[in-house]
Amino acid sequence: MEPTRNSHATLVDLLDRVLDKGIVIQADIIISLAGVPLIGVNLRAALAGMETMLEYGLMKEWDARARAWENEQRQKKVEPICAAQIAR
Amino acid sequence: MSLETQHRAKTKVALATEAIVEEEGRYVYCVADAREDMSLGKIGIEGHKVHTIPHKDICAVVHSCSAQPYQSDDQEVVKAWVRMHQKVVDAAWERWDTVLPLSFDTIIRGEAEKSAEQNVKDWLKQEYEEFKRRIKKVKGRAEYGVQIFWEPKVIAQSLTSTSPQIRRLDEEIKTKPKGLAYMYRQRLENLMKHEMETKADEYFKDFYGRIRKYTDDVRVEKTKRAEPSLQMIMNLSCLVYRDRYTELGEELGKINRMRGFAVRFTGPWPPYSFVGGA
Repeated sequence: MEPTRNSHATLVDLLDRVLDKGIVIQADIIISLAGVPLIGVNLRAALAGMETMLEYGLMKEWDARARAWENEQRQKKVEPICAAQIAR
Repeated sequence: MSLETQHRAKTKVALATEAIVEEEGRYVYCVADAREDMSLGKIGIEGHKVHTIPHKDICAVVHSCSAQPYQSDDQEVVKAWVRMHQKVVDAAWERWDTVLPLSFDTIIRGEAEKSAEQNVKDWLKQEYEEFKRRIKKVKGRAEYGVQIFWEPKVIAQSLTSTSPQIRRLDEEIKTKPKGLAYMYRQRLENLMKHEMETKADEYFKDFYGRIRKYTDDVRVEKTKRAEPSLQMIMNLSCLVYRDRYTELGEELGKINRMRGFAVRFTGPWPPYSFVGGA
């Protein structure tokens, strides 16, 4: 059996890791992240909905929408500011 | 002045003013096992330019940003951010072989006397020994997610045919009058619940032992709700030597082929579950 990392099929697995795990910095040089767990909770609620959709086989539609949205974001992306460049 | 030049001039002014704000924070993706001071290009969240901040033979992979956490009510926006976070960690992982990933939205800020960049350097310096220890722990390995599900209906059916106690009760019910049959059914349900839990324990221990053989370290995660017809009985994060994941896959394949069982095998992930805490 081969492991999968298909980005849509493993979104929940990715979120579990990226939102809840990894190195934790415990110092006051970190920006207060009080809002982050909330992002996690909200996301999970949305994902529960997603799982239900999966059950009824509507995932294709969601998939298409997600990709369309991503594409749209890429199109309208403004060149980011690079502070290091300006400072040089 | 052409329209384009005008536009560029305006953008430049905007860039110069925003630069001050932009300088305030460093979004940290991961710490890499590499002596590097370089740019990785505009691969960051929202197209930010990602660069490394070195200390000795390790470096932090960051982008410059304002000292504000990324927050949004739009789930799709957050999901896209998380995906971009992962893409940067993946890029660093591929390039430098060993990384210690950070969780989403970790931003180190600057202070009045000290730039954010300097704060990152100082953080690396202070944690250096600990980071080297963790790098050693995860070097040459990757994380895999293993989730095992069973179909309660199938398991219950097989219990009915194999457990003499359950079978006896099941048959007795048929001979009892309505009122009594109800009581018997309650007893049967309780017995079934108990037997199912016992079975789950048995399988858990068996699978755990079989999986553990092929892993360097394991974290048992909370199980999660799945579809009604499937119940997750095991949720593991496994740290596996890169050349052993095929053996793990073979073992999982055997479990996956068992009647009433299903396995989800995901990865390779950067070792998110093995770099925090102790």
